Amino acid sequence: MMRALVALTRREILRLTRNPQAIITSLMLPILYLILFGQAFNLQNLGGGRVPSAYFLEAFRGAPSYFSYFSAGMTGFVAVTATLFIGANVIFDRLFGVLKRTAASPASAASIFGSRLIAGSIQPIGLAFLVLGLSILLGKLGLAGLDITANVTVVGALEILLAIVILSAMFASLFLAVGFSIETPQTYFAAVNAINLPVLLTSAALYPWGTMPPWFQNIASFNPITLAVNVLRENLFAGATAYYPYGPGVYLLGLLAWALAMFTVAILLARRALAPKR
Amino acid sequence: MTEAIHAEGLSKTYNGKVKAVENVAFTVNAGEAYGFLGPNGAGKTTTVAMLTAGLAPTAGSAVVDGIDVFANPNEIKRRIGIVFQESTADSDLTGRENLELAAALFSVPRKEVRGRIDSLLERMQIGEAADRLAKTYSGGMRRRLELAVGIIHAPRVLFLDEPTLGLDPQGRAGFWRYVEELRKEHGMTVFLTTHYLEEADGLCDRIAIIDHGHIVATGTPSELKDRLGGDVVTIKPTRTEPTLAALLQTIPGVTAVTLQDGAYRVKGTNGEQLVPALVETCTRANVGLASVSLKRPSLDEVFLEFTGREFREDDSVSATDRAVRIGQVQQAFGRARR
Repeated sequence: MMRALVALTRREILRLTRNPQAIITSLMLPILYLILFGQAFNLQNLGGGRVPSAYFLEAFRGAPSYFSYFSAGMTGFVAVTATLFIGANVIFDRLFGVLKRTAASPASAASIFGSRLIAGSIQPIGLAFLVLGLSILLGKLGLAGLDITANVTVVGALEILLAIVILSAMFASLFLAVGFSIETPQTYFAAVNAINLPVLLTSAALYPWGTMPPWFQNIASFNPITLAVNVLRENLFAGATAYYPYGPGVYLLGLLAWALAMFTVAILLARRALAPKR
Repeated sequence: MTEAIHAEGLSKTYNGKVKAVENVAFTVNAGEAYGFLGPNGAGKTTTVAMLTAGLAPTAGSAVVDGIDVFANPNEIKRRIGIVFQESTADSDLTGRENLELAAALFSVPRKEVRGRIDSLLERMQIGEAADRLAKTYSGGMRRRLELAVGIIHAPRVLFLDEPTLGLDPQGRAGFWRYVEELRKEHGMTVFLTTHYLEEADGLCDRIAIIDHGHIVATGTPSELKDRLGGDVVTIKPTRTEPTLAALLQTIPGVTAVTLQDGAYRVKGTNGEQLVPALVETCTRANVGLASVSLKRPSLDEVFLEFTGREFREDDSVSATDRAVRIGQVQQAFGRARR
């Protein structure tokens, strides 16, 4: 089982790295948000700069600017845009016979599913840090940029890494569940579009926390992207912990619960899809 | 003789309505090359899918290499090799990487992996392209890679499901040469499905003719041809004459006369000598002739004999048609991505 898992994971990673188009497409949306939306939607300019900074600190939960707050959200959003290709690959592997070949081998459904999940959980890490790096760079270029005001500790860095990995695992599971249940690329991408936007728009990735009505805050609190970006924001911005009811550990646990629930659904669907046809 | 495959009462009905395979029973001996011959939609691929644990049967049992297929699907997968009619190699991996992956999935001993891969790449004449992505391979190279992937674990039984579909005659001949060599060297049992009659004739020790989900005849290629009773002269008259069959039957050397699709199929030991007598009999009976043809015993004739129709493509969309279309889509994608 382990040998098959390693070999299949290697295959998934090779495939992902050999398709630069997929990587570019994964980054396209978050980067467009950063360099267009993030630059134009500069809330500090409201009121001609006369709004007290304390108000913004409250609204952005300790982040020094809207862009800083927002770029942490986009770092989490990369987990969504990158992992959707993991599910799409299931569809194309089925269409081009690769899945049939793998299912005809003694490799277990768990290793076929697990390899895709591992690749899907690892691949967004690099992309997420690329988005973080670009956000910092934009600031150095005189544009609105990410300003990390906290001293990020080793534990903090690990928490950020863990948040990205668990969020990616959760979305990889979700898109694998869709990929193993749907047969045509058209239906898959339609389903993914129906998931992506509502998930993003009900999270705290885009909107300042302080501008959301309480009922929306309640919904956003349970959104997995919110849980992950909470971990990022608490670690990146000095004093941010004061604006959050819980520490990063609690959000990580919430995220883990999401990931486990999605994993359970996805592996059941994968097993069903890979079992001998009836 | 040891049995490599034994199927008993094997049936598959899709959605409770479409009977793809019905009550199929046959035995393949170890080391034998056994052909399943039939047109598109006959039930060949469905039978292979059941024998290789990819499809649950509606009824019946199957034992492959001494293992109950439906009770131990994972054990079966370890022991068999499959070459599918469509290309299943990963286009984004090189030929060598495809083989490395297959070796890992089939638990080929680590120490042997490199040697086996090098030997297979050389044998299949894709050694020079081993480190190129599979999507750059020609159709023939991809088929040879498929075969190499199918036999990397030295399976006891090799299933070939229309493996030469879409290949030109030269490519087909080359593919079968490799299969024949492997069979001779390793005593591998080969179960193949095809609708190329000459492939079945040339490679198979025994053949089963399958039509509409039923096996209609089995035997060695020569046994099946012998059952035709010699040459077949087909006479197509310009009009039907009820007494003509009886008249033709009286000609010395004629062993049987049947009327199919408005033509008389006259069997006889020496067709060439029969033709003048047949023409003369028709002339005397005042029956004009639209055409006269002579055929030596062939599997084409065997198929006609046992199914009552020409060996031709069915009109319905079959798995084979789908495979060809998928191949076309793959080629289009491959070209776009290169």
